[in-house]
Amino acid sequence: MKLAFVTPRYGTEVIGGAETAARMLAERLCQRPGWEVEVLTSCAMDHLTWANTEPPGTSVLNGVTVHRFSTASRRQLDYFDLDAKIRLAPTVVGLAEARRWVALNGPMCPGLVDAVAVTDADVVACYPYLFATTVDGIAVSPVPTVLHPAAHDEPALYLSAFRQSFRHVDGFVYHTQAERDLMEYAFGNGAKPQIVLGLGVSDPTGAGRTGGEILGLGDRPYLCYLGRVDEHKGCGMLAEYFARYKERHPGPLALAMVGPISDRAPEHPDIIATGTVSEQDKWDILAGAEVMVNPSAYESFSLVLLEAWSLDVPVLVNASCAATMEHCRRSGGGLWFESYRTFEVIVERLEADHRLRETLGVAGHRYTEQYFRWPSIIDRYTQFLEGVIARGHRRPTGAKRLVQPAGGRDYVRQG
Amino acid sequence: MVPDRPPTSSDVDPTDPAERARYLAAVMSEIDAEVRRRRASGDLPAGLEQELDELFLEFSPVGLHGKARLRETLSLVDRSAYVDIAVPVASQKMVGTYVKRLIRKSMGWYIGFIVHQIVKFAWSVSRMLHVVVDHVEDLEAAVEVQRTPPLPATVVPATDPGATWWASEAVAAVSSVKGRVLHADCGTGSLLDALVAAGLDAYGVDPVEAAVEVPVGRGLDVRAESLIDHLDVVADDALSGLVVTGSVEWLHPNERERLVRQVGSRLAVDGVLVLHSATPESWLGSTSPVISDLAPGRPLHAETWTRLLGDRGFRIDAVTYGGTDRRIDHVAPANPDAATLNAAIDAVNQSLLGPGEYLLVAVRER
Repeated sequence: MKLAFVTPRYGTEVIGGAETAARMLAERLCQRPGWEVEVLTSCAMDHLTWANTEPPGTSVLNGVTVHRFSTASRRQLDYFDLDAKIRLAPTVVGLAEARRWVALNGPMCPGLVDAVAVTDADVVACYPYLFATTVDGIAVSPVPTVLHPAAHDEPALYLSAFRQSFRHVDGFVYHTQAERDLMEYAFGNGAKPQIVLGLGVSDPTGAGRTGGEILGLGDRPYLCYLGRVDEHKGCGMLAEYFARYKERHPGPLALAMVGPISDRAPEHPDIIATGTVSEQDKWDILAGAEVMVNPSAYESFSLVLLEAWSLDVPVLVNASCAATMEHCRRSGGGLWFESYRTFEVIVERLEADHRLRETLGVAGHRYTEQYFRWPSIIDRYTQFLEGVIARGHRRPTGAKRLVQPAGGRDYVRQG
Repeated sequence: MVPDRPPTSSDVDPTDPAERARYLAAVMSEIDAEVRRRRASGDLPAGLEQELDELFLEFSPVGLHGKARLRETLSLVDRSAYVDIAVPVASQKMVGTYVKRLIRKSMGWYIGFIVHQIVKFAWSVSRMLHVVVDHVEDLEAAVEVQRTPPLPATVVPATDPGATWWASEAVAAVSSVKGRVLHADCGTGSLLDALVAAGLDAYGVDPVEAAVEVPVGRGLDVRAESLIDHLDVVADDALSGLVVTGSVEWLHPNERERLVRQVGSRLAVDGVLVLHSATPESWLGSTSPVISDLAPGRPLHAETWTRLLGDRGFRIDAVTYGGTDRRIDHVAPANPDAATLNAAIDAVNQSLLGPGEYLLVAVRER
């Protein structure tokens, strides 16, 4: 069997997000006997500019064949005007305008779409829903097509362009039940073949150093945030909440924010923003944390929760994030906050009660082992894909490719 | 014996999902109580608390999904209703600050006039929304009192419909359809196995989450939800076949009406509906007391389903009776009271006893 992934970006440099999830799946699946995997992607690595930074052509990355195609244009400033407009009332935006938004969101990659149209794969998997490569890939695919939406509750999800496009999808693969509920609510696609798959977590690969040593904290206890340090990930809120907590609870507790810094590092004597660290350091820091905090409200899966649980570390999540809440409720491995007050009471309690931390960590560990180890994930995925292939594909009638937006001024990344 | 105190961490068996959930609920309940206590104590200045709560809301996905919390969405409106006229004038260049301040001063009267009207409008809208939300919450409270609670999924035993007298007939009824076939409530998936084995593109739903794990583990497409909830998220004409068993017997009349409406649109024209139910006569005798007491509805006669579905554009192709027949045999004619006794037996059989179950096959014609 041959699977072709269609993603807007691909590479080890792409941190977090759905494209990384696609890479993780592709790298595991290509090791499975009887399966061949290729990736059709753009030459861009920056989702804000879509500038062609990688050479076009074919290469092999960690055993996966990667075909790169140039983007036809960089992101244009027109995108931001239209985006602001559609955010107000996405459900009433007309189809033409919605399709223009998708095209402006990009990446527009005509070579990639041509390649999907003549693919010799048995099945095409588009990942994630938001981009032009996905909408165009679904429109032209001659073989059964599955969509990994990696969706969360955001205005763009409600655009009619996606509703029209997803009618032609032959199967849906979700990260969580919450994502499935959201997609079914938005698109009424309940009768389509689908699976809640999630992602697998790898074995921890720490070097055995203590997190305190790496962070320069010595024996001080610390909370840990893992991922891009970004306002939209709730990091500003977390830093502010933690600073308030420390004002009211002076003590040794610190907060380590581990990951690339998008905006600016929070300034507080008890907050350490490490920037990007090695994989080994990441695991060692996580292993030493009292609690892993994920303050983001916009997660479609949150692999870092499972990584924390694989080390028996309990988690604290944002109560308005359906995906992380689902993990916590199903596993019993974490608590959730919906205000500063709950954050304060929970951190206070977790800091003082090691039995609670242990109980949550063990429950999370068990959940991770039961559902999110790679071999069983790949077993379920291949079984699902085989079913989709067996059902066959009815080529969409009347599905049209997106129209390249007329030339406008390019967006230039600041800083 | 279930302990009546809240569970502690040492009570928790991590392998038991129910125990984990109970422990988590107890911990969060303690945390909520502590949060309420502190709020009441006023140890955090109200302005600061509001500011911190608004920070949480700033990046929360409130208001898009249909089940968003009304009050949170309303607070977003309130926060946006005020437009600040004091345009920031800070600039990296000294002259920039001066120029911006000059523009702000010279344009102040104009911007102020416009902003005043915008804020007035926004506050009117906000006030109106507060009134609407108050009314909606009153309505919700009133409806809640009248709501018939659904039958708890935990009291329903897992079913094995694949081993029943009607299984092969159900498979045969949908065997010729082309397209998706849904089985509800599929239980452990034994009939679903038979449907898939017959070459059908079948999937299932069942409200009992624990039951669903079994067929999912076998690679079947099964979701843990009720039939009615599932049909809510299915597009019109998306199903070619529908096999309905289990909970249809005890649906509340309103839910039954909703189900009939849904089936009449989600099933494509020429789509086949197979419905299995206990007969009303056998219901009390064959069902557990807990189910029969707590069930919000009762089974219908096959004739009633025929009528309801006929009104929705269905043609009834077959009704087959089976299951345990509890009718009493006639006494022998040699008995001197045979005529009287047998008349009484007939009356009892007709009104109280009879075949235990039936299978109804219908086709959507329009």
